[in-house]
Amino acid sequence: MSKLRKLVDKIKPSFSPGGKFEKLHSTFDAFETFLFVPNTTSKSGTHIHDAVDSKRTMIVVVIALLPALLFGMYNVGYQHYLAIGQAAVGFLPMFWYGFLAVLPIIVVSYGVGLGIEFVGAQIRKEEVQEGFLVTGMLIPLIVPVDTPLWMIALATAFAVIFAKEVFGGTGMNIFNVALVTRAFLFFAYPQSMSGNQVWVRTKETFGLGGGTVVDGFSGATPLGQIGTSTLPQAQIVDTMGNPYSLMDTIIGLMPGSIGETSIIAIAIGAVILLITGVASWKIMFSVFAGGALMSIIFQNFGPDTAVANLPWMYHLTLGGFAFGAVFMATDPVTSARTETGKWIFGFLIGALAIIIRVLNPGYAEGMMLAILFMNIFAPLIDFYVVDANVKRRLKRVSNK
Amino acid sequence: MENIINIFVKSIFVDNMIFAYFLGMCSYLAVSKNVKTSMGLGLAVIFVLVITLPINYLLENYVLKEGALAWLSPNLASLDLSYLAFILFIAVIAAIVQLVEMAVEKFSPSLYASLGIFLPLIAVNCAIMGGSLFMQQRAFLNIGEATSYALGSGVGWLLAIVGLAAIREKMEYSNVPKGLRGLGIAFIVVALMGIAFLAFSGLKIG
Repeated sequence: MSKLRKLVDKIKPSFSPGGKFEKLHSTFDAFETFLFVPNTTSKSGTHIHDAVDSKRTMIVVVIALLPALLFGMYNVGYQHYLAIGQAAVGFLPMFWYGFLAVLPIIVVSYGVGLGIEFVGAQIRKEEVQEGFLVTGMLIPLIVPVDTPLWMIALATAFAVIFAKEVFGGTGMNIFNVALVTRAFLFFAYPQSMSGNQVWVRTKETFGLGGGTVVDGFSGATPLGQIGTSTLPQAQIVDTMGNPYSLMDTIIGLMPGSIGETSIIAIAIGAVILLITGVASWKIMFSVFAGGALMSIIFQNFGPDTAVANLPWMYHLTLGGFAFGAVFMATDPVTSARTETGKWIFGFLIGALAIIIRVLNPGYAEGMMLAILFMNIFAPLIDFYVVDANVKRRLKRVSNK
Repeated sequence: MENIINIFVKSIFVDNMIFAYFLGMCSYLAVSKNVKTSMGLGLAVIFVLVITLPINYLLENYVLKEGALAWLSPNLASLDLSYLAFILFIAVIAAIVQLVEMAVEKFSPSLYASLGIFLPLIAVNCAIMGGSLFMQQRAFLNIGEATSYALGSGVGWLLAIVGLAAIREKMEYSNVPKGLRGLGIAFIVVALMGIAFLAFSGLKIG
């Protein structure tokens, strides 16, 4: 470590103002602060002294995402070998296949996003901000494994530029950047983001796992099956037609976006986020509460369709609901910032997600749009919470 | 009754004046710089819509539509005055806006000052005229449905403008690139809001 520090100190002058690579100062600075906690403090404005800076916070979130990512890789391989009828190959080949399938998506998402961030910082002559560390990890986890890489590159570029850079960079965005990426993909290339063909990779990856798809295979996600069902009760089955139990949906070996399927992996991430205090437990809890309440209401008073009749536990364990609640809704930048506001914000996300699932036949999955929609109104909720506080205190003062 | 509630909810979210039809954009972008003012304008739009739309509904069904004048005398049953719709609708709207303006000036001079030119401009706000024309097109069954449509469209417009205003207030200190400050970034925000509002396109109620 000290050798590294010496090396950094040695090359530092050439990146400082007046040095040879003066223009690349922010790039250098980004790598230096990535490796070492900076020993400088802010000179102006309000600041809090803490050992944890935003880079460290971001790393905590990335660590919290790792269980979902690793499980997602295994699941990609598992679904693939199940589809080509070679489910007996064992854990390692499955994981290796999934690793090779997911890695290019991660590389593209980080490459494009960080590239734009670095260029943007150079142009504005600012430090490179670290927000994309998390976004770049979220994007691969919320897309189907068969999304073409150029689409991911395009959508990432769109989201980083139009949802983040133009707003002034990290911490200033109004909409969750990863969700804007997902929404862009969803509306621009619907055929690659929904339907039954995209959730399970059936072809080989880097020459690995070749084979033909077995008879009776259907790559529909559980929510897709329920959404397209015409019966009042739907049986959710895996790609081979075997029914899923509630426990299966919690373990998460089922088709879906890469990181969203396993409740266990997401729960590990949630625990990490809550212990370190990075995410707000109020938002997480109220999203689940809102979702559960809304599904119970639909079960009792809603239309007689399969998705309305789905028990509330399934609504919470299937699709992107848990992933969105833990990692997307709690984004401290785009969520409500007042404590009362967090309850309202979370509750409305949960309720809206279920409303979209049940009432909108076009979208089997409601979480992405529910969170994006509430991102619009987070500042408004904050405004009125603060406004109510001001009024209450004014009243207290004038009563005395 | 159920029909009336359906129309109300649909006109807020599914057929939102701003995000589904892009109506009333000029005042939407211009007055959405702070929440209080935009709330005032939003309420004024709701008020004008709720008054004008039922009046125009009555006009449409008892004066303008083909055969609408039959209640006056059977000889007039073949008369079709619908070519007068535009001019009559806009006259009603202009008159009501004049009333609103006088009322706002009397009861809330500060709001009157901050709304400025945009208050009289409600008269030519496309959302208001659009509401009346959609009413004509959709052939509502009774005046209750027309009123609930008016209220819903107004509430949808209000939600959209206060949402945008809160976002723009929050972005006050954001380091937006120079060329985009002001209206430029507002357009980008509205576009992203439009994407989020797509959540409701195709929603089936009732």
